[in-house]
Amino acid sequence: MIETAKHNNYTVATLLIKEANLDVAEQFKTDMLQLIDKGNSHIVVSFENVVYVDSSFLGALVSVLKYAMSKSGDIAVAQLNKDISNLFSLIRMNKVFKVYNTLPDVFA
Amino acid sequence: MPQVQKKILLVDDDRFVLLLFNRALIEEGFQCLTAHSVEQALEILNEELPDIILSDYQMPDMDGFEFRSRILEDKRLKNIPFVFLTAYTDRNMIQRGLDMQAVDYIDKETPVPLVVSKLNNILQAIRKEHEKSIHEIRVAAEALNLSSVPSESPKIAGFGINFLYKSFEDYPGGDFIDFIRFDDQYTFVVLGDVMGKKWGAWFFSFNFLSYIRSAIRLCVFDGDLSTASILQKINRVIFMDPVLGDVLSTLSLLMIEHKSGKVHYSGAGDLPLIVYTASDKSCRRMESSGLLLGVMVDGLYNEDVITLSKGDQLVLISDGMIDFEHGGEKKSDYDLFFNLVKPKLGKSNSFELVKNVTFSAEKSKELIDDCSLIFIQKN
Repeated sequence: MIETAKHNNYTVATLLIKEANLDVAEQFKTDMLQLIDKGNSHIVVSFENVVYVDSSFLGALVSVLKYAMSKSGDIAVAQLNKDISNLFSLIRMNKVFKVYNTLPDVFA
Repeated sequence: MPQVQKKILLVDDDRFVLLLFNRALIEEGFQCLTAHSVEQALEILNEELPDIILSDYQMPDMDGFEFRSRILEDKRLKNIPFVFLTAYTDRNMIQRGLDMQAVDYIDKETPVPLVVSKLNNILQAIRKEHEKSIHEIRVAAEALNLSSVPSESPKIAGFGINFLYKSFEDYPGGDFIDFIRFDDQYTFVVLGDVMGKKWGAWFFSFNFLSYIRSAIRLCVFDGDLSTASILQKINRVIFMDPVLGDVLSTLSLLMIEHKSGKVHYSGAGDLPLIVYTASDKSCRRMESSGLLLGVMVDGLYNEDVITLSKGDQLVLISDGMIDFEHGGEKKSDYDLFFNLVKPKLGKSNSFELVKNVTFSAEKSKELIDDCSLIFIQKN
């Protein structure tokens, strides 16, 4: 459900799903934790294919962030559609995650 | 015909069979997804979750058994009922299919109406089993007197307080509501939403609520009457909790001063409060700045104080209220909700009017999460 690629100093994890919800949250978390354990400490999650995010998925995302931070890493999000971007601002997820419109050149 | 439109995935390399079943099942009210190869079916399953899968055994490249194996390896898919459709009546084949936890097999020679009845029966049996389990858990929860929503609204002289709560498909969810009163001086209003759905979220809502209740009481006993400070203390405890640290919750915390009409407001990742001011008939949103509970050690909580005068109204909501589904597309839209509620405020029967546009039978059908709304009015 995620496709990964190296991008300068970080890893891009592109979500290959339209709806990021409860059904995929656990799988996403497992995949991301594995990715972090393999040494990918800085990951940008790309939402370019995603049209809807529910609170279960956001929970998984934050839990992945907390894990990454415990390993001196960081997680950012990129390419959010307008609705998702509004939701991030509304519930202050934009203070928790770095939010990029497009994939950044460097993520530090 | 199924009560709610059920989604079925049909997989067969024989286009004629696909067409035949597709037509018959659509006529019976099913929503059909069709794939003429396992590869195509797996692509569909990346994006869609059907209620049942009907798949042929023998197909070129990957066959039905391999398809079944792939599904069983995927946590997200393995519980979808799987039925083999086959021209084979070879016992070994059937046994092999059933050994792979296929719920049934259907001979391709079976007349289409009979296939439809069989599928409906399977879905109905699963639904009944499911309802039975839910019923048992609900009975257990009731016996333990577990409830994350109060049975009635508090009565405070000079205020009118009401709330609405609707569970998602009758599952309890992560929303929790509480009113904590201290003599005739203060009432704390608590509205939270544990992120997640159904039982998982519901289970954790009690832990959150317990922390919140005790934190509020301890703070008030210590003379700490700042909602921001109380919220920060709750946040720190949850952040350090080894179990809850991984579970996130929003929280809107209000403290109503009964005599002065002042309302203190702090929020953790919650949606903006809707504030209606009677004197100038204006309606605005009030945003708090704090982070979701348990995300960071410092939740960056702020505190706003609103002095309510006669006729002023406040509306607090959980995030289920802003989820909308139209034509199969889901979206979260706070503005849509705000504009829906705005014209209903400032009336003598505002609460009823708000209820009609948000919790009517028609609206409830569109729900995709559990929803809560608290309405406060200064009389």
